[in-house]
Amino acid sequence: MINKIKRYLDIHTDSSPLAVFRIGFGLLMLYSMIRFWGKGWIDKVYIQPKFHFKYYGFEWIQDLGEYTYILFAICIVCAILITIGYKYQLSIAVFFLSFTYIELLEKTIYLNHYYFISILSFLLIFLPLNSSFSVDNLIKKENKIQVPRWTIDSLKLLLVIVYFYAGLAKINSDWLLNAMPLKIWLPSKYDIPIIGENLMQKEWVHYLMSWGGMLYDLTIPFLLIIKRTRLFGFVLVVIFHLFTRILFPIGVFPYIMIISALIFFDSSLHDKIINFIKKIISYFTNRKYNIRSIQAVNFKANKFKISCLTIFFILQIIIPIRHFMYDGNLLWHEQGYRFSWRVMLMEKIGYTTFKMVNKENGEYFYINNEDHLTSYQQKQMSFQADFILEYAHYLGETYKELGYEKIEIFADSYVALNGRASQRYIDPEVNLLHEKESFKNKSWILPLKDE
Amino acid sequence: MLKKISTLVIILSLIYGCGGEGEIQNNYNDGFDRFELLTNLTDNIIIPAYANFQLEILELENAKENFISNINQTSLDLLREKWLDAYLAWQHVEMFDINKAEEIDYRRKMNAYPCNVTRINLNISSQEYDFNNSNYYSSQGFPALDYMLNGIQQDILEAYTGLNGTQNLDYLSNLINQIVVNTEDIINEWNADRDIFISSTSNTATSSLNKITNDFIFYYEKGFRANKFGIPAGVFSGSPLPENIEAYYHNILTGNTSQILSLEALQAVKKFFSGISFDNSYQGLGLSDYLLHLDALNNNENLGDVISTTFEQAETSISDLDDDLMNQINTNNYDMLVTYDKIQAGVVLLKVDMLGFLSIDVDYLDADGD
Repeated sequence: MINKIKRYLDIHTDSSPLAVFRIGFGLLMLYSMIRFWGKGWIDKVYIQPKFHFKYYGFEWIQDLGEYTYILFAICIVCAILITIGYKYQLSIAVFFLSFTYIELLEKTIYLNHYYFISILSFLLIFLPLNSSFSVDNLIKKENKIQVPRWTIDSLKLLLVIVYFYAGLAKINSDWLLNAMPLKIWLPSKYDIPIIGENLMQKEWVHYLMSWGGMLYDLTIPFLLIIKRTRLFGFVLVVIFHLFTRILFPIGVFPYIMIISALIFFDSSLHDKIINFIKKIISYFTNRKYNIRSIQAVNFKANKFKISCLTIFFILQIIIPIRHFMYDGNLLWHEQGYRFSWRVMLMEKIGYTTFKMVNKENGEYFYINNEDHLTSYQQKQMSFQADFILEYAHYLGETYKELGYEKIEIFADSYVALNGRASQRYIDPEVNLLHEKESFKNKSWILPLKDE
Repeated sequence: MLKKISTLVIILSLIYGCGGEGEIQNNYNDGFDRFELLTNLTDNIIIPAYANFQLEILELENAKENFISNINQTSLDLLREKWLDAYLAWQHVEMFDINKAEEIDYRRKMNAYPCNVTRINLNISSQEYDFNNSNYYSSQGFPALDYMLNGIQQDILEAYTGLNGTQNLDYLSNLINQIVVNTEDIINEWNADRDIFISSTSNTATSSLNKITNDFIFYYEKGFRANKFGIPAGVFSGSPLPENIEAYYHNILTGNTSQILSLEALQAVKKFFSGISFDNSYQGLGLSDYLLHLDALNNNENLGDVISTTFEQAETSISDLDDDLMNQINTNNYDMLVTYDKIQAGVVLLKVDMLGFLSIDVDYLDADGD
């Protein structure tokens, strides 16, 4: 067994897929960061709110205020350096740190695809994406045309995990038996030309897309791995992601998945892409990218690297199934919901207000959420238990500073999930100031009463 | 192969490129006519409600002129009567905080209560004020008129004939003129842009359909629930604030103004939700019909019916209160809180259940999803 692994680690293959991946990743990150900036979201998401929701264990992350722009600027510079492959290892490491720091600043904006970028950029720190066709090569005057095969395989593995878990998550009764939430979402897309007014309104389309989406996510990794079905699989990837892009506001995520899927193709395709880019460059600069290629690589699969990546992948396999620790409907209580490639699974809306009670005389009043949260924060807070708890504690501290003592805070919370009638979400009798965030089951979330 | 892929990408991007965000008027054949919904809301509710409001404030203006030329109890009583009529008509337009109204902060200029008495007195004595500055919102509109007509001093007539009579009269007159001017601007816009408004039926954060739906919910939650009941009952402050009821001064005289205004507002809410015309003569498409079309169920009952029932329960509860809401708060605030809870049940149904089914783009933040 160990010998087999050793032999596997020694297999080498062409490095061009990594170079194409690097360029695609760099350009998309560049676009995505500039887009975020251009839409004014840095201000709205990171600067305007008085209070930021933090991830459990990362409460120590310091808000940067106006300096958040600098962090974005660093990401942008890194994205450019990654694209051209200059000081690659440093650039990708700095990119990972600054991007992840940005994400940790505010939980409200959590998206699976931001998490994907975070962990992908972590993985990329360990991979020699600058082996060929990079500025680093020009400086060292050597082009490493071969890399260990595991470097490319690890990218494939991450994608397989993402798709497969996304598919598994869709095997639930809301999605398959009730076509929820597509049954709610698709009819609301009535203003899409051609299909909006008819197809999107048909119930069979909702079911077809629910089942199709589940089968797509589960099978696409295999279609891409198997050489005979690869092109077909890639066509599906392009169609599927562009279609979701038309239907839903999901930003650059579809493009990231399309570009990433190219990694499954063998090097001949990537060589062509690189030659194509070279032609463009030489057209503009009249210079040829022509340096000595070397076969031998001193990129050693050292033990440290391999153990880091092994732990990384074990975590990637465990984290999405951690929800088995909690009873009840996962979509409802969301304990173990994040970081698990659960996308598009819920139409969930909440309405949560907080009652501040004076322990001594029983007098109470309700908090105006607008006084503390932006409208987007209010929306996200209202249906997620960990947000509700964190906000209750923030309120407790804020009002204690204002001189209120001996207070208790109760949530008056209603949530509607996937077409069910709204029902109470949080036990109104539980003083949230007594509850602490932890991995333990949150017993103060009332169970979902299913009709 | 590269060629194949790039051709595919180009074709698909072309298809995608067609999926723009244009707002096109269409005859939707999914069985629900959003164009008809907006047309009904606009032609049978919004525009008639504004037309009626304009008539009432015209009468208010005439009564004011009459009062200025003969200051006596009769002309004061008439002016008060016209003020109340206009205030009742106002309850039917306050929720349409959209386009021009939103742009000029109409709602807050017309009905921010309690009014700021200190500021009003300062305005009168200094004669320097800017009604378009948000610091002066609570010293104008109906609440300020309430103070000028019913509370400025013990003997109201004395205020307009005595030492500061001219200044007070000037201010009173300016308040009414300001209402007239602002309202005219808004009505002109409705008449000019009606066609544009009703054709904007798409599902985007800026479409008429989404904005008016959001405004309706916002009004029910804030203008109706919080301002008329929650705040005076002390829901947000711990101790009751009875002086924060709507039309506080007039309510002292009559002992029922605040309740009458709130019931009128609830009528406006019910009509808008069910698509009943302003003059009650016709029932067209409303949000309740949209929910019916979407087959929106709430524990096996039609969600639209559940919401309508909640409005009825709120109405009964309000009617059962003491006619004098201030008295109700001072003597038995518990019942006031019970009424508040009945109204609150509607907020949950509108904001959580209804919005869930309409899947409407709300103007939170146009952030990405996943």
